[in-house]
Amino acid sequence: MSTTATVAPNPLAEGLHDYRVAEPALMVIFGATGDLSGRKLLPALYNLAKQRLLPAGFAVVGAAIDDLTDDAFRKRASAKISEFSRTQPVDEAVLQSFLDAVFYVKVDFSKLDDFKSLGRKLDDLDHARHVGGNRVFYCATPPPTYETITEQLKAAGLNAGEGYHRIVIEKPFGNDLKSARELNRMVQRVFHEDSVFRIDHYLGKETVQNIMAFRFANSIFEPIWNCHLIDSVQITAAEEIGVENRGAYYDKAGTLRDIVQNHALQLLALTAMEPPVAFEANAVRDEKVKVLRAIRTITEEEAAKATVRGQYASGWVLGEHVHGYREEPNVAPGSLTETFVALRLFVDNWRWAGVPFYIRAGKRMPKRTTEIRVLFNRPPHLTFGRQAAQELDPNAITLRIQPEEGISLKFGAKVPAAGIRLRSVAMDFLYASSFLVEVPEAYERLLLDCMIGDPTLFTRADEVETAWTLIDPIEAAWREGRPPLQMYPAGTWGPTAAAKLLETEGREWHRP
Amino acid sequence: MAPAMSSPPVDALEWKGEGVTIAEVLDALADFRGKFAQAQSTDEDHPHPRNSVMTLIAVAATEAEEKLAQRICTAIAVHHPSLAIVVREEANVKSGRIDASITASPAHYELVTLQVRGPAATHLAGLVDPLLVSGVPTYIWWLGTPPFGSKELRDALDIADALVVDSGGFARPYHSFMGLADTSSHAHRRLGLADLQWARLDPWRESIAQFFAPVARRPYLSGISEIGIDYAGAGRGNRIPSATLIGWISSALGWKLQRAVGGAGGVVSAQFEADRWRIVDVAFRSVAKPGLVEGEVGTVRIVGTAGGTTFRLSIARAPERTRRQGPDLGPAPFQHQHATGGEDDAGMEIAQRKAAQHREMAFQNRDSLHHTATGDPPGESLPPRPTVFVRERRRADNSMVLLTLIDIGGADTLRHVQRIESDDDASLLVELLALGAHDPVFARSLAAGAELMRAL
Repeated sequence: MSTTATVAPNPLAEGLHDYRVAEPALMVIFGATGDLSGRKLLPALYNLAKQRLLPAGFAVVGAAIDDLTDDAFRKRASAKISEFSRTQPVDEAVLQSFLDAVFYVKVDFSKLDDFKSLGRKLDDLDHARHVGGNRVFYCATPPPTYETITEQLKAAGLNAGEGYHRIVIEKPFGNDLKSARELNRMVQRVFHEDSVFRIDHYLGKETVQNIMAFRFANSIFEPIWNCHLIDSVQITAAEEIGVENRGAYYDKAGTLRDIVQNHALQLLALTAMEPPVAFEANAVRDEKVKVLRAIRTITEEEAAKATVRGQYASGWVLGEHVHGYREEPNVAPGSLTETFVALRLFVDNWRWAGVPFYIRAGKRMPKRTTEIRVLFNRPPHLTFGRQAAQELDPNAITLRIQPEEGISLKFGAKVPAAGIRLRSVAMDFLYASSFLVEVPEAYERLLLDCMIGDPTLFTRADEVETAWTLIDPIEAAWREGRPPLQMYPAGTWGPTAAAKLLETEGREWHRP
Repeated sequence: MAPAMSSPPVDALEWKGEGVTIAEVLDALADFRGKFAQAQSTDEDHPHPRNSVMTLIAVAATEAEEKLAQRICTAIAVHHPSLAIVVREEANVKSGRIDASITASPAHYELVTLQVRGPAATHLAGLVDPLLVSGVPTYIWWLGTPPFGSKELRDALDIADALVVDSGGFARPYHSFMGLADTSSHAHRRLGLADLQWARLDPWRESIAQFFAPVARRPYLSGISEIGIDYAGAGRGNRIPSATLIGWISSALGWKLQRAVGGAGGVVSAQFEADRWRIVDVAFRSVAKPGLVEGEVGTVRIVGTAGGTTFRLSIARAPERTRRQGPDLGPAPFQHQHATGGEDDAGMEIAQRKAAQHREMAFQNRDSLHHTATGDPPGESLPPRPTVFVRERRRADNSMVLLTLIDIGGADTLRHVQRIESDDDASLLVELLALGAHDPVFARSLAAGAELMRAL
């Protein structure tokens, strides 16, 4: 086991990417021939190389069951990078240099000898490339393999030695509290918690990080960020796509586990957390855990009133007719898996007492959008009269996570005309045009963070487990049919029950 | 009166005026803004608010600079709503007059060009202040050489949040460098100061910093014994980038300048005291490098010993290669990467020599200084070339790459290629402005570099 030692920063790194200069390392990608590796990881690493963020000596070692030579894997990597890199066209000089540092080892996860061979390859590369023993093991594999991989790494002695040894695992981190705890215990037997990087790519998005900047780098928002002035908060995570080729996985997971347990609760935590002492890994994650613990558990009895679950039927999305969920490949014909979730949660603490947090997540919605909308109370007195203010909406701050990343503030203004008439206007901040730099891919940020050893944007074990404590009772109620699954036509904003969840309280969903 | 329910879309608008006042320019701008706002409003929506990232004032002394400024401001504005004001100064013309033009697009981009002749041209602040958008940062990009120390520049900086220059284009590099350093140390607190030439050094700084990033290599910082730099140019040329790069390293590591001498061919040789007892030899010289901006760094070499291990870091810009698509040599053909001969591939050489030799040359025999990035003593201009093998692949554009060679102890040389993404003025300007042009590391490096040059 290894831990991250605290050392003085490199004085020559001052002013360069906020000291974010990585040490050379060997990154082993398990499942290197798979989808995640080809679509996200290799293109992200190439783009880091293009930005000169990978130091001399850095190398990638692909590990998978396929029988490939280094050159054959490089060819595959080259094709994937050319197809999926966010920067186009691909820079041949950078690509060639990057591919020079790409290697491949055939690894059958069940064979210890394969891991020992991998170890020998890493030792050779370590010596030739002056890497100093630094290793990152990235599990770009299905979750059931995590246990085998970590155990084999330990058996082959690859989790210890000179330099750092880190492991990256992808969500889902378990499928309920029990399995999440088991997974954490198993990984922590091999790697110290500081060396475990649980990746939720949402947290790598600039706009998600900007929630904290918006709240804690400005003095004007935090004083109004509480139950005295805020009426409610709406979090929407909508996708226009269906389950695509993930039918088999999705039919077991559902939206509650796939989106709400991680992405949506992370957004809620960032919106509701208290200011951390510093933008430092444990300070930030401590505050997020406090919020998650303060969320009132929806009991199995309350689930019928506070939750809505839906499944898309056939319909029209973006002008095209699409199948219903049960007609998707690898989905059971009578599946009761939800593709839409709406929840009403309360954060039981001083700041948020009585403020409902509505979460809505689903597939086959009219469009892809993720946003957090904070609605404020109406003024206590209508100075200008009811007539003048009839077109006036409550003040609202919308944090647009994707697309059209930005922030909008809605407020009332006088219509320029004789007399007094008021209507709502918006002030818009657009990420794309307000800064003169490109927004990097979430994976680029997170991979670099991992190499630098900064876990701030990764999920800690207790965060994962606390989130599951909120999800498990809802799942239990749903298994008993409370509330019943409702169908909604693809291309709509979910079943009518979702609208009623707010209407009964005199509110309505914001249409993004 | 309520606006029309739905006005037709408005394309880009243009306006020109000769012998105009700034008030007339303002009226024209207000007229354009009104038209765009009206065209965007519908009965269901309100006019989209103006969204301006910055006001960029480009000061040009020649027609070529004016055209360049217009082109770059337009390129930036396509993606970033902004007000750009290009001021062409012709103070030497007796008859005072202002000609102006405005190009504005519905995408919140306004380009105002002012051709100012006569005495008014020396009152830049008074000309542009009325045009500035309140609450939006104002950046001055001074093409050519700013009049350092003048009242005009001081007044202009009072209304600006940042000044951007390109020291690579300074007419009198030494004096301008001192003026820049002086401006940096005396500017008002909120003023950012940026240099495109400093931005061109980013890849070099990154490569050097990356070498020392591993914790195990951190002690090497205390073992650096020599640094050599080759820069593009002839004679003295423009030594600002080299001096600033040395200033960056020396100020970051707390080195103290002991002495410095200059020799023929732009050679500078200096000694720094490190860790209160160690001497570090530093030298730079000019080398003809077609295609590089005058003064641009071409090669850097850092040598040292720590804990009984010697290390050498060589970084070279766009190393010349003699790769040819020769006869088919079968699978995986290998060939020498570098041509032999020539004096411009100095950074690639793995020369062995002693620090004492340099000190002797530098301070006892100034006239025959021949210190280079390779450390070749006089008469040894063709040392043995290293054999660096590369696998021939697809032909790639290598004109904008840095090749890093790392030697640690007796291990094989580690080779690493990095791309210099783009060093055109527009890209560099965007990069600098994105961070607000406030860079304490630059200020510190500039001051240390100026100290070195003053000591010559």
